[in-house]
Amino acid sequence: MEMIEHPPILHIPAIPDHILYTWLVMAILVVVSLVATRRVALVPTGSQNFMEMVLDQFVKELDETIGHEGRRYLPLIATLGLFILTSNLMGLIPGLVAPTANLNTTVACALIVFITYHVIGVRKQGFIPYMKHFAGPVPTVLKPLMFVIEIISHCARPLSLSLRLFGNMMAGHILLAIFFFMMGFDGMLGWALSGSLGGIVVGAPAAAIMVVFVVGFLLPLKILVAFIQTFIFCKLAMLYIAAAVEEAEHH
Amino acid sequence: MQRILTVSVMAVLAVPGMAWAAEAAGGSDMAKAFAVLAAGLGFGLAAGLCGLGQGRAAGSAVDAMARQPGAIARIQTAMLLGLAFIESLVLFVFVIAVILLFVKS
Repeated sequence: MEMIEHPPILHIPAIPDHILYTWLVMAILVVVSLVATRRVALVPTGSQNFMEMVLDQFVKELDETIGHEGRRYLPLIATLGLFILTSNLMGLIPGLVAPTANLNTTVACALIVFITYHVIGVRKQGFIPYMKHFAGPVPTVLKPLMFVIEIISHCARPLSLSLRLFGNMMAGHILLAIFFFMMGFDGMLGWALSGSLGGIVVGAPAAAIMVVFVVGFLLPLKILVAFIQTFIFCKLAMLYIAAAVEEAEHH
Repeated sequence: MQRILTVSVMAVLAVPGMAWAAEAAGGSDMAKAFAVLAAGLGFGLAAGLCGLGQGRAAGSAVDAMARQPGAIARIQTAMLLGLAFIESLVLFVFVIAVILLFVKS
């Protein structure tokens, strides 16, 4: 893969790329937040308006999924969402790396969600009742079996949460890398510029078609995927928290 | 038809094995050949079946939206979540394929 992949523009030898770009995302978010909240006005303008619009979406989803208690979890969900969205979109710029295209970053996010919703559940209901609801509404004989199955399904949650985000970002990354490789000077464009007849007849149109395909189809698809994956990550985190909170109410 | 399919798949699976066995090359070469084959076949299977599943899900969602245009927003959310769950299985296979292809064993 190192063969076809261009190394990132910004690179500090001792630091892994995904950590460096995580810091970059953090810097972007901090600067944007500072600029937006420097002069908080009742009638928002400019960047404050933009950030309020973005956060309104999170609040709306939270109200819809968790209910009236949902706004307590806005800091967690909105931070995760903004971080993931920014890093997903950063992967679209050639030469930059999406931190979410590395399994370490996504596992970190998923484990935060996993631990948080268990802590919320235990704090809401107490340890024993929370453990009890793992067993579910089944006859007593089946409860141990149900408990084990439920534990396994809970352990699968962070796994699928992290692998989904990582897989989507990584797949898009590899796809774009392969297409840029095939378009570029080692591929069709190089063939067309080599001066041979086949290159001019086949290579040049193929390079043009690929450019149109990548710009017209692949990049919009990747933007869509970046937004949808952020949405799904946040929605699932909200659903898990909602499941941990809700059980308290009808026990 | 099924028998032909089974036999041909088995033949395809056997070819690199026999080719490398005939050359009596090192074990890692043969493992690499099978790894590439497994990555390709496995990801093809996963992607195709995921296409079937997602097609069903999206089709039903569009049906529901056409019947009840008022509930489009909620149906869309449910559809996206469902598609994500179906897709995540393919992404597991994708991760395995990437591991098979790029991690030197």
